[in-house]
Amino acid sequence: MDSDSVKKTIMKEALQATNTAEAQVLIQNINETCFERCVPKPGSSLSSGEQTCLKACMEKYMAAWNQINTAYVRRIQQEVGNQGQGF
Amino acid sequence: MSSSGFSVDEADLEKLSPADKAELRQFFANETQRSRIRAQTHELTGVCWTKCVPAGTVKSGALASGEQTCLANCVDRFMDANLATLKHLSSMRK
Repeated sequence: MDSDSVKKTIMKEALQATNTAEAQVLIQNINETCFERCVPKPGSSLSSGEQTCLKACMEKYMAAWNQINTAYVRRIQQEVGNQGQGF
Repeated sequence: MSSSGFSVDEADLEKLSPADKAELRQFFANETQRSRIRAQTHELTGVCWTKCVPAGTVKSGALASGEQTCLANCVDRFMDANLATLKHLSSMRK
């Protein structure tokens, strides 16, 4: 490998590792949140209503994550723009 | 691939030119920041979900418009509260 391919390999593998870790955190949070929400009293199996709720909950949680990420990034950029004001 | 899951070994690292090393430093600095922002997003999603998505069964996978407004406000007010805390803390130290 030459310098460029070492660099590109490091970047590619670092991104893969980060993305895997990120996905695991998101999935774990979704599981905890949606299990709490959708399965208040665990029965002998997941009812169809619980399954529907779990699907909707997962989609909604991801939508919320994306919206919050956008709002948070916007706010950080705004704060950086305001630097020096306040304190 | 080694057990760590990374295929680059120490001999490969020595091949890096100064320019590529500098580029990698910048890459990791950026990634570290992106990673912090995502960690905070996970945290905020947990907090704001509890406040903005009504308790009980989730019926729709889409966010209602009231929920969207609430989530946007939640992020902004969390940041305001954070700044207010820091400001008050610095005034207490004087």
